Amino acid sequence: MFLAPDGAEIEIADTAAKFLSRAIPLDRLHGTGASPALGASLRADFAALGWFGLVLPEADGGSGLSAVEHALFYREVGRHCGPVDILAQGLAAMVSGDRRLRAALLAGEQGVALAIEDGPTLRLLGSHDAALALHVERSEARLLDVSAIETGPRPSLDPATGMRTIVRGTPRPLAVSSGGEVWSLGQLGVAAMQVGIAETALALIVDYAKVRETFGRKIGTYQAVRHACADMALRAEAARCQLWSAAAALKERRSDAHAHLDAAKHLANRAAVMNADVDIQLHGGIGVTEEHHAHLLLKHSVLLARLFGSKRALLARLLHAEIEV
Amino acid sequence: MDLRYSEEDTEFRARARAWLQTHVPPSPRPPRGRAAADFDRAWQRKLYEHGWAGVAWPKEYGGRGLSALQQVIWYEELARARAPHHVNTTYVALMHAGPTLIARGTEEQKAYHLPRILSGEALWCQGFSEPNAGSDLASLTTRGVVDGTDIAVTGVKMWTTDAQHADFQELLVRTDPASRRHHGLTWLICDMRSPGIEVRPITTMLLDEHVNTVFYNEVRIPQANVVGEIGDGWSTALATLAFERGTGFIGDQLELYERVQRVIGLAKQVRFEDGRSAIDHDDIAERLASLKADTMAIRAMTLASIAEIDRSGVPGPKGSLMKLMVTSTHKALSEVVGDILGWEFLEFDGDRAAHPWTYDFLWSWVYTIAGGTSEIQREITADRLLGLPRAR
Repeated sequence: MFLAPDGAEIEIADTAAKFLSRAIPLDRLHGTGASPALGASLRADFAALGWFGLVLPEADGGSGLSAVEHALFYREVGRHCGPVDILAQGLAAMVSGDRRLRAALLAGEQGVALAIEDGPTLRLLGSHDAALALHVERSEARLLDVSAIETGPRPSLDPATGMRTIVRGTPRPLAVSSGGEVWSLGQLGVAAMQVGIAETALALIVDYAKVRETFGRKIGTYQAVRHACADMALRAEAARCQLWSAAAALKERRSDAHAHLDAAKHLANRAAVMNADVDIQLHGGIGVTEEHHAHLLLKHSVLLARLFGSKRALLARLLHAEIEV
Repeated sequence: MDLRYSEEDTEFRARARAWLQTHVPPSPRPPRGRAAADFDRAWQRKLYEHGWAGVAWPKEYGGRGLSALQQVIWYEELARARAPHHVNTTYVALMHAGPTLIARGTEEQKAYHLPRILSGEALWCQGFSEPNAGSDLASLTTRGVVDGTDIAVTGVKMWTTDAQHADFQELLVRTDPASRRHHGLTWLICDMRSPGIEVRPITTMLLDEHVNTVFYNEVRIPQANVVGEIGDGWSTALATLAFERGTGFIGDQLELYERVQRVIGLAKQVRFEDGRSAIDHDDIAERLASLKADTMAIRAMTLASIAEIDRSGVPGPKGSLMKLMVTSTHKALSEVVGDILGWEFLEFDGDRAAHPWTYDFLWSWVYTIAGGTSEIQREITADRLLGLPRAR
């Protein structure tokens, strides 16, 4: 029993943090030239370090690591509002039964969008040039070929996530994987990204509160600011600790892993959205400018909150869930 | 990172569970007064005789010397067995005074007091807060005058839980009259039967008298009862408080999940005016599900804090976050119960056994105020965890 990152897990998280702050800094999302696209060259960078194959068995060309490393990696991705394509790409490699396709996915040669049901149609989240899309449900995941169908771009609230809808045609399924593993890792990955956002929002306002002065005092001396920051720290701490529970439960294939995952996602959603909200508020005017990172965290967190279990669905399941002691 | 218990831990849990199955008192704890204190002593005595007292204490002082994780297992099993709650009249002795004496006491103090604390023979109370020194504890003014081999204490302490039942008190006084704030304080063991002490109960909003005002008129305490050094009482007191915020809530933390499950059961039974059960109403269902997630997080926070203790040897500065989380969850849960139950929730005469949910609702304010208010916990978090600049 050790519910915290340890040893090699910490090393992987550190490696990811260094790589991601170079590869996808938050600065990329500002200005008129900002692009949410993961793009071929970035995909190749991720692939070179094996990030798309983190949890894939070694026999399939992956690193054979566990849900724990998966959570640690996506928490770092979340800190930079990393595109959901990264997750879609990694999960798609698990779904693909074809060796050649899997190799192409791991190498980043093919891009994968995340397909989300929206009424009778699908909405595609991620790079506009992705020829593939992954549609994940609780008990089944389908890899779709969207290269031949007509899609139309939609304006996306979240600068980190491209958005398309299907205008004409039906995506062709390339591979199907049954069982809940893809969903579980997807849910864990998004929960982890939300934790990263919650932590980043806290870090941004704490740094600012140490230097910004009003009425001749640092704003970090005012209890109106201090107590709101303490509440942010609590939300982040609760979400982070429950994320560790969920990751370890999934790794160990415990029978209550789903309950831990649902709780982790719910707490992470709340921590990310509320911390992003308070981060903007406590920054004051500068917090509502486009050039500041604060709005990026909010916009990305409200998008992630809808993926892999909305609040309603998560709570409905949690009500009747039981955990083992 | 893992959630697996070792074979040793699993065996320990099985032993604890088996023992509790046959030894938990069949009758409920009397709600108040001397009868409640006697019940607590008897339960503690039973734990002591069967080797379950002081699970967290080092072996050399009569404890079990268990790992932090095994303590958690013990508290989980206590909650599971619905054993007497550990926050009772023995709490200050076992969770404050004992650990403080182990850390800072003389050999004589330890030899005399620790066995009495463990066996339930001696109950303790805490004399820290005063009418004008609560959140701002360092502004306390109760005076201790060094006089020969004694220290003569004069002043007033307030909010002293169970002072009327206690045999001893951890008493924090100002021994240097020229000192300010946290300097010049001394931590004393005060015999509550000493001449010059008067205990006056305070009736709380729970209609009970668990807290008191204690008056000291030239109460003579031998210098041999100083814990730590004269004038160094603040550091002794901080050792005590860190313990309370760090691990003192473990039992409650783990019990909250069970409590949410019980309330969900209650919500399935209770029918609202529209004929549907409470649980079939979205607002009730969502709040309860969300609270369940909170209690799961509390358990995860507890286990994560133990990993931190394993790594660094001491509880980190996150004890304040834990207290905020536990007490706010407790309060929110009490409020849901109020919305589930009908008018019977508004029936209350102070009898805890007859009106447990209403009592709990009222208790939630004790929880968010005692042991450092929620506001003070946020201040501690801002200072020590986040490193924000201080105005104080």
